Amino acid sequence: MRALAFLALAVSAWPAAAAELVVELRTPSGQPVPDAVVSLYPGGRPAPFGPARGPYQIAQRNTQFQPFVLIVPVGGQIAFPNYDSFRHHVYSFSPAKRFELKLYAREQDRTVRFDQAGVVALGCNIHDQMTAFVMVSDTGLAAKSDAAGRIVFADVPPGPVTARLWHPWLREPGNRAELRWTLPARGSQRHAMTVQLRPPPRPGAAY
Amino acid sequence: MEIVRVPKRRAFGLASAGLLGLCLPAAVPAATPGWLAPDTVSGTIDLRLAGADGEPSWTDGGFGKARFGGARDGDLRLKPALAETELVWRPPLGWDLTGTLAVAAQHEQDLPVDLIEAFVAWKPVPRGPIRVSARAGLMWPPVSLEQEGPAWAVTDMITPSAINSWIGEEVKPVALEGSVSRPFGGQRVSATLALFGVNDTAGTLLAFRGWAMHDLKAGAFGRQPLPPLNEFMLLAQAPATRPAIELDDRPGFYGKLAWSPAAPLLIEAFYYANRGDPEMATPTLQWGWNTRFLHLGVRADLDAHTRLLAQALTGTTEMGIEENGHYWVQTSYRAAYLRATREMGDLALSGRLDLFGTSERGSQMSREESESGWALTGAGRLRLSDEAALLVEGLHIDSRREARARTGVAPNQAQNVVQLAVRLTL
Repeated sequence: MRALAFLALAVSAWPAAAAELVVELRTPSGQPVPDAVVSLYPGGRPAPFGPARGPYQIAQRNTQFQPFVLIVPVGGQIAFPNYDSFRHHVYSFSPAKRFELKLYAREQDRTVRFDQAGVVALGCNIHDQMTAFVMVSDTGLAAKSDAAGRIVFADVPPGPVTARLWHPWLREPGNRAELRWTLPARGSQRHAMTVQLRPPPRPGAAY
Repeated sequence: MEIVRVPKRRAFGLASAGLLGLCLPAAVPAATPGWLAPDTVSGTIDLRLAGADGEPSWTDGGFGKARFGGARDGDLRLKPALAETELVWRPPLGWDLTGTLAVAAQHEQDLPVDLIEAFVAWKPVPRGPIRVSARAGLMWPPVSLEQEGPAWAVTDMITPSAINSWIGEEVKPVALEGSVSRPFGGQRVSATLALFGVNDTAGTLLAFRGWAMHDLKAGAFGRQPLPPLNEFMLLAQAPATRPAIELDDRPGFYGKLAWSPAAPLLIEAFYYANRGDPEMATPTLQWGWNTRFLHLGVRADLDAHTRLLAQALTGTTEMGIEENGHYWVQTSYRAAYLRATREMGDLALSGRLDLFGTSERGSQMSREESESGWALTGAGRLRLSDEAALLVEGLHIDSRREARARTGVAPNQAQNVVQLAVRLTL
């Protein structure tokens, strides 16, 4: 099982003991929930970041953002290559990052730096159906669920941990929920969770 | 000067071939950015095989409510047709400004090619949760919950509801329209207001023919045929109506409020008043019609694959000279439908029930011009590829209109239309 976003590796200050944490997310009807982000705060504090990962990229291809959800650390830079043969007008007015990119056809050299933690919703002003989200993370332990709704954290320090769950359509205030778990010193812990999702909003007027 | 008339069907074929040729650049991959980029041009070809029984269609000089009608004796008639060829060009005129130019060649229309829409849309990048946008030009007002995409097509069925058939054939103004929307928590509210002109004859078809169910669309320059008129109206009204003309230089207006209390539910209210002067006419006997209506629409997504649509519309229209408190024509009209669509992979199945009626109180129109009716439509749409879809539709229309006696058919008419369509998108 591979985590789909960056996972922090052990650093010098990190405890030697660590457990594997598996989170499985499903809807009440049993459907897996991809693209949910779980952020872990061991002892209630952000986990340190490991070696720099990246480069990060959200492509525009076939009138879609790819990926739909991307996790980057605070300060991370994301490239926005346009592989389509027509223009895109990428924007966000989220408090964590307001920006606007006018991308000509097949333009591949534009990047944006995300220096404030939070969720950044992306849209294209030309193509209303295009939507994506950037989770700018302040903890080194953050990952998103895969198509099977699974997230695997390989090395989580033992003891109490605060887990923040986010999904763009999560039926909770702010699309997020907070959980508290206690991790063992070694071995594996599995959390199977049932989450309620709202239907995704319909794109606005097409003109 | 000698005028050479090209037969209508041949003219349509030539126009379709011409439009097909114009569509070709859209299929040529190109890196050209800007107003000639591939995504700015799209084309649709609709190949149709229709079988219909019952009375002749209104497009054939009768009162028939469908696009296709039966043989003169009411027997089943099969008719293959290149139903429509459309070409839509949406050039970017700036990062916030987009043009839309749509032309169509439609079988049964009097012009081989007509302009369907021509407008400029302004949509700036939002700086916050409030979104503003504007449109200016020839366009349909935002009434239909069924039509979408290039050239205003019904995607999962062939025939739109009675309400949207009428919007498509007669309600086509040149408007200056502004919209604003903003979310409130998980809800979204939007408001639209427009001033318009060039739609003073809207209401003519509803009064003289009544409701119909078809996918023909009004063009900027074309005319729509009227059924046989009564003796008085034969002298007062032209035998065909032209939807997009201005008679009285008096602007009309429309407004819309939309509320989405949660993502799967959308509720809309719309009001239209063309403020046409009913006593004004052109030398060619195109009259002003004072037409107004109130419309309510609801869309509910029951789950990711099932949606319900419902629209209801009620209004009045007047035309002619006022005598003893009544205009020559004074028609009230109402219609509603409920539609369900279920998607199953590449297949979408739809069913719809339409109810419609008109009441006539004009001084030169008898009560026999009133009508009532209902229709059931079932349709299946199979996606063959990104560029092709196969649609099958069965339509049953049952209606009563005493004025049918003028064409020698019974007031009560039941009609069945089965259509097979192949839609190719370029």
